[in-house]
Amino acid sequence: MSKKRKAVTNVVVAGIGGQGSILASHLLAQTALKDGLDVKLAETFGAATRGGSVMAHVRMGQVWAPTMMEDEADVVLSMEPLEGLRVATRFLRPGGWALINSRPWVPVDVAVGRCEYPSVESIVDGLRKLGAQVVSLDATELALQAGNARAANTVMLGGLFALGALDLSENSLFGAMDERWSERLVQVNRRAYDLGYQEVSASLGATK
Amino acid sequence: MHPVATGAPGDRLLLLGNEAIARGAIEAGVQVVASYPGTPSSEIVETLLDVSTELGFYAEWSVNEKVSFELAAGAALTGVRSLATMKGAGLNVIMDMFMTLPYTGTRGGLVLVVADDPGAHYSSNEQDSRFAAQWAMIPCLEPESHQEAKEMTAYAFGLSERLELPVVLRTATRLSHSSGVVELGQVGRPALEPGFNKHWKTPYRWNVYGPPGAPAKHQWQLDRVPLMVRESEALTYSEVRRGNQPVAVVTCGTAAAYVREALRDLDLEDQLWLFKIGMVYPIPEGVTLEVLRQCGRLLVVEEGDPVVESQLRVLAQANGIDAQILGKQGKAVLPLHGELGTSIVRGALAEMMDLPVQKDKTRQAIKQEVAPLVIPRSSALCAGCSHLGTYWALRQAMGEKREDVHIANGDIGCYEQAGYGVKGQMPEASEKALAHHDSTILYDFLDTLYVMGSGVSMAQGQARAGYKGGQVVAVAGDSTFFHTCMPGLLNAVWNGTKLTFVVMDNFWTSMTGHQACPATGQTALGQPVRTILIEEVARSLGVEFVEVADPYDLEGTTSLLRKALAYDGVAVVVTRRECMLQILRRERKYKEPYTVTEDCAICGECVKLGCPAITFSDEEGAGIDPILCVGCDICAQLCPCGAIVPGSEAS
Repeated sequence: MSKKRKAVTNVVVAGIGGQGSILASHLLAQTALKDGLDVKLAETFGAATRGGSVMAHVRMGQVWAPTMMEDEADVVLSMEPLEGLRVATRFLRPGGWALINSRPWVPVDVAVGRCEYPSVESIVDGLRKLGAQVVSLDATELALQAGNARAANTVMLGGLFALGALDLSENSLFGAMDERWSERLVQVNRRAYDLGYQEVSASLGATK
Repeated sequence: MHPVATGAPGDRLLLLGNEAIARGAIEAGVQVVASYPGTPSSEIVETLLDVSTELGFYAEWSVNEKVSFELAAGAALTGVRSLATMKGAGLNVIMDMFMTLPYTGTRGGLVLVVADDPGAHYSSNEQDSRFAAQWAMIPCLEPESHQEAKEMTAYAFGLSERLELPVVLRTATRLSHSSGVVELGQVGRPALEPGFNKHWKTPYRWNVYGPPGAPAKHQWQLDRVPLMVRESEALTYSEVRRGNQPVAVVTCGTAAAYVREALRDLDLEDQLWLFKIGMVYPIPEGVTLEVLRQCGRLLVVEEGDPVVESQLRVLAQANGIDAQILGKQGKAVLPLHGELGTSIVRGALAEMMDLPVQKDKTRQAIKQEVAPLVIPRSSALCAGCSHLGTYWALRQAMGEKREDVHIANGDIGCYEQAGYGVKGQMPEASEKALAHHDSTILYDFLDTLYVMGSGVSMAQGQARAGYKGGQVVAVAGDSTFFHTCMPGLLNAVWNGTKLTFVVMDNFWTSMTGHQACPATGQTALGQPVRTILIEEVARSLGVEFVEVADPYDLEGTTSLLRKALAYDGVAVVVTRRECMLQILRRERKYKEPYTVTEDCAICGECVKLGCPAITFSDEEGAGIDPILCVGCDICAQLCPCGAIVPGSEAS
């Protein structure tokens, strides 16, 4: 383990523009800041406002560069399976976590017949080949259960905390949520968080 | 109010690089701010607009960058501190004034923030704007971190006033669009009363033609260079850290962050010298010479072109120092294109230090095995975007006869995506298919796509060349029309050149984040003002064929576009519908989602529209994603089978 790995925790949050991936990355970065860590957050998105690939690097610890190197991510959190694989292929370290929302968002390239969307099973298989510990869940469905499809990003944050891969405090995350949202939205998002946490805990065979 | 304004000195906030720059301007007591939106620079002025009323300074979106810079310059001549911000491409729009203003200099601090885009994430090119500062011989600062972005911005105003010259602060995507922790400082002094003295310090100060004339004023500016170098020497944002070996890494800006990480990763932190330069033009000569003399080998790492590296080479040569300088020139160890990153810098360091480069062949093999699964995700317009309707109608009006090779000239805005192509597997690339305009898929439609305002003029060149192989059109959006298309349109009228020009008016500068423009009916601060109608402007420029169409009405729009294409003269068609994202933001919902009935004959016609809500496969035919569909009705109008209907009407 290099000096750097000890000093820095790297997370990539990926998804499609409009799914709330960037917001999730901001909540994560605020959580790290509240926990007294230095933090850098780099957003990358294409020209399109909605529907394009979106990626945010969240780097916590002693960091200078906003972006990480290849194979450096401890966790890839993706709101969409294909985007999870895209990002993991570049950035996930062997042995790192891939937390994936299993609901595909099919790109225009498929509709015009220039390629085929791979099955979610083959995507999970690909992630495993890359050495990932894979957890997938239907975050969109859980968000609907929580009361708002747009809370899928907080479902995923619940899942992320259930992995136990990050040394961050839940209370700091809740504090960041309180600062961002009205009481009503906080309630929906706390429910979403809990559902994601329980789902992932269950699939890891552990309980909260 | 935005925390960037309310934060107290000592507060530590997580800020975007652009927000940090905004805070720096606030701390410096900026009084006039003007800009035209351009990714990755827009958040600077968006942040300042948010707080300008409460803090008592003026901020606006201008019609284009040239106007914004000249407005800021006009303000600075009266002694107030002013700021203009732009993306790299925007700098090109201001070049005339940019090259001339330094002859007279300025009085109040005048700072230009230029956000370059290495990697061209959001831009037509990867230009390095620092060259422009060197060309105009004005100082250029380059911050490494978010904290420095704030502090250097504030510092730049004072520097500008001491030197009586405009100052460029160069940022890049990776700093502007990333967030880091920033400790806030004191908010600046109260506004100064503007004053004016036409002979301030020198006769006819603000008039390059006034006695003693432009060459003498140029001489005045040349006399500033030693002062600039002295400022560069004294800059506290530069840093020299000595190492055990006579080898140095010279760096600046965001590249410095990659250098620090790469040095740590290779365990070279104690071994090598680290020389970070805060003012990249002019570089601090004294300290640079010292590093050159102490270190026989130097690696220069900078984002963009070899601007610092070239200055270093000149300095070494002029002083007879025989140091080995590595970088992007000669036998290059760093690339001239694309964006830097820690991996690339680590590679260059390893090459310089002759370290073994570890290549994990097994891992590369696994990645190659997985790669075919990672299909592309090409950029697409939004579901319900009115541009989908305009483009469909335009393609119908131009016709799809295979012997025709149409030329569609694009411009800059959301609608430029019609020139992005679809990645994936290209269709059979026969000679004929390549030569012919392939209008089958929307995203292959635009043939030429360069910079703001270029399409309308290029179309005139094609007409004057006598091109007869097919139809020639130019398209642009509302904000772009006002930005740089009006002179081109006037040119066609004046010279009597045939032109078909389609202006897609969706009321907003949408691509950069829905900023207001003259078509919006409000200012940047949301104050209601008269909407400037593009058709009225076109008529007043002398265009005789001017029509307005509704892009949600395919038949009506197509028929108007046919008439425009057939018209022997200058024809302008304005297609008008508000940006769907703005409607959804305000109303939450447009109309009910549509669905595909069993009447679908699997012809694939709907796919050509390019709407991301439409799915299609040879087995299952067309489908509509109910979450994405907003109910715009465009696809229902073009379906030859009448198989697309509102959800509630499906049996």
